[in-house]
Amino acid sequence: MAPHTPQRSGRPGEPVAPLETVWDAGDLACGELIVKLYGRMEAMRPGQVLRLVALDSGAPADLPAWCRLTGHTLLAAEHPVYLIRRKEP
Amino acid sequence: MPGKFCVNLTHSKDDTDRATVGFVLANAAVGSGKETMVFLSIEGVRLAQRGVAESIHEEGFAPLRELMDNFAKAGGTIYVCAPCFKKRKLDENSLVAGASIVGGAKLVEFLSDGSPCVSF
Repeated sequence: MAPHTPQRSGRPGEPVAPLETVWDAGDLACGELIVKLYGRMEAMRPGQVLRLVALDSGAPADLPAWCRLTGHTLLAAEHPVYLIRRKEP
Repeated sequence: MPGKFCVNLTHSKDDTDRATVGFVLANAAVGSGKETMVFLSIEGVRLAQRGVAESIHEEGFAPLRELMDNFAKAGGTIYVCAPCFKKRKLDENSLVAGASIVGGAKLVEFLSDGSPCVSF
């Protein structure tokens, strides 16, 4: 996977989001994975990066599609590890 | 990429595989930011009754109760076909959270802008 250095997104005076959140989704697949990923991204701050581990064999196709649908940015994908940056509101 | 998505689900305990996969796909849609509605019809209306989903856990998937809870938590809605419900003499006072009994016009209205609908 290409090296990745997430950037801090907070404005001066605002609390700064942690650089990266990690979620090991194990073998969750399809809608079970997507709906939980959705909830996790909603809880994150704009610009924050999720390091997702998704073992399911459908993930390499599903996760880029999900990012295109939702507007989040897939920074890197090397199955089973995916870096996804939460979109701006 | 906003938009709507409908899952027409026609099975419950009579085909637990279809009932489960219908909600798995609905979760994929609502989790992808689509305004998602599950239309329970035919035997599917039984899933609108409290206690029914608890008895369904298809191998290889999460329990149906969990799938339905996740769907509702993510903002999904459930419409229940009124005549299908009435025919089976089910209990309107025992609906699962988020479910509402509707007639065909509500389904037609939801789909009238060309929204996609898949059936299980």
